Amino acid sequence: MIRYEEATKRYGGGPPAVDRLTLEVPAGQTCVLVGPSGGGKTTALKMVNRLVEPTSGRVLIDGRDVASTDPVTLRRGIGYVIQQVGLFPHLDVAANVATVPRLLGWDRRRIDARVDELLDLVGLEPATYRHRKPDELSGGQRQRVGVARALAADPPILLMDEPFGAVDPVTRARLQDEFLRLQRTLRRTVVLVTHDIDEALRLGDRLAVLATGGRLEQYGTPADVLARPATPFVADFVGAGRTLRRLDLLSARDALSPCAPGADAGGPVLPPTASLSDAMAALLTSDAPAVRVVEAGLPLGVVSLESIRAALRRDAAAATDEPSGDRVS
Amino acid sequence: MRSRLKLLMTPFLLAAGAVAVGISAHRGADVAELGVLATGTLALRVREHLALCAVSTVLAVAVAVPAGVAATRPALRRLGPPLLFVANVGQSVPTIAVLALAFSVTGIGFRTAVIGLWAYSLLPVLRNTVAGLAGVDPAIVEAARGMGMSPAQVLRRVEFPLAWPVLVAGIRTAAVVNVGTAALATFVGAGGLGTLITVGLDNQRDRILYTGAALTALLALAVDWAIAALAELTTANRRS
Repeated sequence: MIRYEEATKRYGGGPPAVDRLTLEVPAGQTCVLVGPSGGGKTTALKMVNRLVEPTSGRVLIDGRDVASTDPVTLRRGIGYVIQQVGLFPHLDVAANVATVPRLLGWDRRRIDARVDELLDLVGLEPATYRHRKPDELSGGQRQRVGVARALAADPPILLMDEPFGAVDPVTRARLQDEFLRLQRTLRRTVVLVTHDIDEALRLGDRLAVLATGGRLEQYGTPADVLARPATPFVADFVGAGRTLRRLDLLSARDALSPCAPGADAGGPVLPPTASLSDAMAALLTSDAPAVRVVEAGLPLGVVSLESIRAALRRDAAAATDEPSGDRVS
Repeated sequence: MRSRLKLLMTPFLLAAGAVAVGISAHRGADVAELGVLATGTLALRVREHLALCAVSTVLAVAVAVPAGVAATRPALRRLGPPLLFVANVGQSVPTIAVLALAFSVTGIGFRTAVIGLWAYSLLPVLRNTVAGLAGVDPAIVEAARGMGMSPAQVLRRVEFPLAWPVLVAGIRTAAVVNVGTAALATFVGAGGLGTLITVGLDNQRDRILYTGAALTALLALAVDWAIAALAELTTANRRS
């Protein structure tokens, strides 16, 4: 668990870069710091591993003030993925991934085994990639090595600063999928920085929206931020498409209404796990008044424009302090 | 690839050059000339010359590299400009003046010449150490710190390897310049190939003068080659 308490950073006598930030990241969850540039996202992230020391306030990991831990020891226990990856250009992939285990003095056999395991985990064939240099890799491959390097010593906490910023949109989407897959099994406490609201909504269990000047505008689940933006700034930052984005976060199961008896057997069919935006698309591209939801051959009900509307209303009214369990990615 | 080939060819060309100088020094020489240009004497002069260059360059590296490291540490960054200023002064004062100054303190001999050469070669080493370390991508240094390397580990495992090509280029410049400058060491009685040049000039013996000049040039090329080969080897090792 990571906890910021009134953490503030000022450079010189200027305005704060991070302004009295207070928030808590529960263990095993992904917290995304999101906002426009100048919002102090990276500064707030670096407070966790003491690359930035707060001017006032403090940051706690599992109840312990990071300022009371030796920075070198602290950092070896925290995975760090930085903007533009920051791989060491003079070392090959294996040596890059082995950085922290080497610092921790693991023996060579254990390091070699761990490097292979990690390269497998991030989808790089060890035999092919072990001895490549960073400049012989594509952008996406470099990002993967960056993630493998951060995970090397199995740290409970992962800090990621724009980890997918340097790649094309297609690769980025694939890396995001892989991140979600990894995170589902590894369950690390992750703090991730991005300026991309779509990425934030997709990856975060919780979103911290930071405005210029390092002010926390809202801290909540993606559904929260979309359905109930706390300030005009958040509403504006999330954008006009936020209603459509909310459809991505709800599934057909959330908007089921009973089948009309003897309903028309025609029209589109979707599984209950399909997102409401898929259902909406199906409705818009067919003449049918409703989409039939079928699971394993059994009809569960239908989704219509009215039932979608009702689902959105229910979602906005619900107290959603916990992240919804049935998010569709 | 082409530079590799050049690196492999150079020793043969240098050896051929040395043989040519040896032949032209002895063929048709009179007794007086043969006395100065005997193979044993030439070898002694070359050894003296090399000793002057090696000692002064090693001392310059021993002082300038730590100074350059210090000047690029965050806490001492303000040290950089004054240090470079001092080194610049050392470089811009003519060597013969540095030698004269050193002469007034330490008198005649090897030590005086080494001090002069040392002062003269500080700048290239210091400048390239600072430039090489300052040229390392700060994001990579921060990644290293963020992963839990101590400042010394960041320097040894990340900054030095990345700054190495620039650093070694500075050492190469200093060493090659030293070979030329060491020809002046004869004026403070430290011997070297400059002795041949002055003897040739004083006695109007062109053969002796040219032999001294040609050997100095060959030595400069040889030193240049040796350090280039060392740089190539050390960089190639890190790439495998």
